[in-house]
Amino acid sequence: MNRFVAGGLAAIAMSLLAGTAHAQTLRIALHGQAGIDAFTPTAQRIEETLGVDVEIVEYPAPDKDYMTKLLTELAAGNGPDLFSIPSAAEVADMVAAGYLAPVGAELAAWEPYKDFVDVARDLAVSPDGETYVMPYILGIQQIYFRRDLLEKAGISTEQPKSWADLLARAKEIKEKTGAYGLLFPAGTSWGGGAFDEGFSHLLIGSSAPQIVTEDGKFDLSSKGVLDVFQFYKDLIDADLMPVDPLLGPEPWVIPKYEMFPSGELAATTCGSWCYIFDWGRESRNPIPNVTEVVGTWADPGQESGEFVLANLGAPWAVNAKSANLELAKKALLETGSIENQIETATRIGNIPSSNAVQSDPRFQALTELVPIQAAANNGTYLKQATGMSVVSEGVARATEALLRKETDAAGAQQILIDHVRQTLGDEALK
Amino acid sequence: MALDAFQKRRERQTLLLLLPALIPLVILTIYPALYAIYLSMTNEALTGLAAAKPRFVGAANYFRLFSDGRFWNALFVTFVFVVGSAIIGQFVLGFISAVALRRKVIGSPIFGAAILLPNAAPEVVAGFMWISMLAGGDHATLSKIMMALGLPWTDWLQTFPLFMVVMVNTWRGIGTAMILLTAGLSAVPSEVYEAARMDGANPRQIFTRITLPLMAPTIFLYMLISTVSTISVFGLVYALTRGGPGNKTEVISVYIYNQSFTAFQIGYGAAGAVVALLVSLTLGIAYVRSLKVEV
Repeated sequence: MNRFVAGGLAAIAMSLLAGTAHAQTLRIALHGQAGIDAFTPTAQRIEETLGVDVEIVEYPAPDKDYMTKLLTELAAGNGPDLFSIPSAAEVADMVAAGYLAPVGAELAAWEPYKDFVDVARDLAVSPDGETYVMPYILGIQQIYFRRDLLEKAGISTEQPKSWADLLARAKEIKEKTGAYGLLFPAGTSWGGGAFDEGFSHLLIGSSAPQIVTEDGKFDLSSKGVLDVFQFYKDLIDADLMPVDPLLGPEPWVIPKYEMFPSGELAATTCGSWCYIFDWGRESRNPIPNVTEVVGTWADPGQESGEFVLANLGAPWAVNAKSANLELAKKALLETGSIENQIETATRIGNIPSSNAVQSDPRFQALTELVPIQAAANNGTYLKQATGMSVVSEGVARATEALLRKETDAAGAQQILIDHVRQTLGDEALK
Repeated sequence: MALDAFQKRRERQTLLLLLPALIPLVILTIYPALYAIYLSMTNEALTGLAAAKPRFVGAANYFRLFSDGRFWNALFVTFVFVVGSAIIGQFVLGFISAVALRRKVIGSPIFGAAILLPNAAPEVVAGFMWISMLAGGDHATLSKIMMALGLPWTDWLQTFPLFMVVMVNTWRGIGTAMILLTAGLSAVPSEVYEAARMDGANPRQIFTRITLPLMAPTIFLYMLISTVSTISVFGLVYALTRGGPGNKTEVISVYIYNQSFTAFQIGYGAAGAVVALLVSLTLGIAYVRSLKVEV
């Protein structure tokens, strides 16, 4: 009997010892199944390196729902220790809300950060001059077009020189192939994509390429902004852009995953991930020989110029109220590792921020991404400011009104201005 | 004097007996409602400066709400949704089912169980199930049926979104209507029917002059419950359409959610919620007062 009792006590003691081996638990929030899959090896490395348990809060849902859950938890004070932020436009506002811990000192002291491209490091700096995020991957965006369709129809595949040239090309596509000529994400259902993956492409080439002024206010009443909305209206009125799918609950599914691969849509804005996740090796509906069949154009400027849009791809951040703040900051550095950058690039197709990947054979195998990474520093980006997420939502509402043909370009601009004014107050506007 | 003391003791006892119900009511309903009114007068947000330092903005959110076309659209959509699914769809079909189930015909228990089945499915599950039936493309159930008939497929949730949402909510609520109305039908004494038949009343006269008048309190109690509960339906509509396409199915609950948790403007969303609460309260009071129903 005594032996049984002693054996039982020994078993309890051993299990307690095993439990204390990983005494602390880091809660890490992730979104999208592909992101979760890509991050799993990094989670294991964090456990091994830091001697902690990692609990991944899996939330394979659209970005919008993920942000709702994340912000609600952060506001309630029970957010995860470490999390990724799907839209870079949210970062400045999360900083203003006090949700993100500053990590500038840790990044400055972290040797591998010196290999990060300037664009990534610049984008990571918040309007207050501090860095709050790990900019481990970039979204390098352009216009992707079906080279095979255009060549077959005898349509030029040369880089469009201006917005007028781009619009004319879209019209020619529609006339000669019957396919929709061009897609810019728009409407409220697309969430931050209407701004990050649509509006920004045109804005950077407009006569007012930045909407944030020197004193951190928003200049939304410029002719440049009006012209961007006019471009949307021209596309919609001429039936060059698929409108109905954009009004549905998951607006990217039909145009990106069905219409483009089937040739019903001939050109769309997209990032390097389109070569991997949307239509490449990780796609459920891949386009064979995607890099040959699908070509890219830089975003043409309104009158001239060529722009490649750069933004942060789902940067990592630490919860300012984390009970394990120091551990979480150490784990943040692990999210910026070369391994995580390459694993994410392999699964999703974003561009690693570190130039060190160029000498890594695992990255060299991603032939679609190698030249894009090498040119990442040429990317153009929008200056950020507190209230950017409100502007992003305002753009979504304004473009939704255009999609529904409820307003003209001036009306759309007014919707944007009114939304920002009503939400942030007059003082936020120039 | 002794009577006064007795009455006071009775009042105290009554209050004590009510306390177990009152405490959760105050904590879980009245306090949140008052807090929502307070929030509606601030610029509280889930992100940005307003999340860290919310400001009192008075009635600004209400002025903004009443000048927001999307809010009026949400009220209109809610009106159509409530009238279409609760008042017409669920009530009419629930009443027919209740009357049919009173007759002892073969298969009536199976019929009753089938009508109750939709209540077993959670709102979101029911929503996704209907998406698989109504979506466009080659794989949706209804599309397959149409293609088998040689017709082109249609994305029903895109083409007739509000009608489809009304239909799905009707489907889901018939069971509840049937149960309540069956209880009402059972309460009508059979002697009254017998007397009417002996006096030569035909089935139509029996229905319009006996069944309906005697059922009136039950019917209006049902109307009160279903109207208020349908105004607050969220999960089903959100799972089906998220309020789209455009804002064509954005009922008030989805509008409030979108403002509060998609645009992250908690204060503004709370103003919408307060208005929705007032609408529900007004309708409830109107039902009760105009028909003198004892609730």
